[in-house]
Amino acid sequence: MKENKQLYEGMYILNATLSEDARSKAVERITDGIKEQGGEIHKVHDQGRKKLAYEIRGSREGYYFLLYFTAPSTALAELWREYHLNEDLLRFLTLQAEEVREEIEFKQLPE
Amino acid sequence: MRRMSSDSFGGSRRKRSAKRCPFMAAGWQSVDYKDIDTLHRFITDKGKILPRRITGVSARFQRLLNIAIKRARYIGLLPFVAQD
Repeated sequence: MKENKQLYEGMYILNATLSEDARSKAVERITDGIKEQGGEIHKVHDQGRKKLAYEIRGSREGYYFLLYFTAPSTALAELWREYHLNEDLLRFLTLQAEEVREEIEFKQLPE
Repeated sequence: MRRMSSDSFGGSRRKRSAKRCPFMAAGWQSVDYKDIDTLHRFITDKGKILPRRITGVSARFQRLLNIAIKRARYIGLLPFVAQD
């Protein structure tokens, strides 16, 4: 039986105090986790350091990544479980996506 | 009867200007939680979501806007409550 794969986008906030090395390791940990579940990474957007709108786990800043990946629909629960154990990951949001966006830019809404 | 009452109250009433939903006017299909510049226009300084009676957003887009704003709040892009 062919497994049902779905396209997702995941936004991840990593601890901004990590060194560059530790940060790329942390991203690898996320991408490897997806691959381990039979997923495939399509695009990684490094959105850089951003100020958080409110304090999350004592941090005022976070390092944002946006990932587009396909994964079997059963994999998400397992991924979430892993994410909750990941201390470097301040917060994550995984949503179903319709397309892989190459650029994260938006039209301006006219006045 | 009906006529009379509308006559006696109708005089001073301000005529409502026609509002158009800005999203529909621009032909948008969806609202993205990552688009915080747009979302900022529909929240107050304190971070509260503006009612559509003020912004003129259609019911459909108010619903999409609500979801987008709440997602943006969760992921730390918008405040739940702004204090500064």
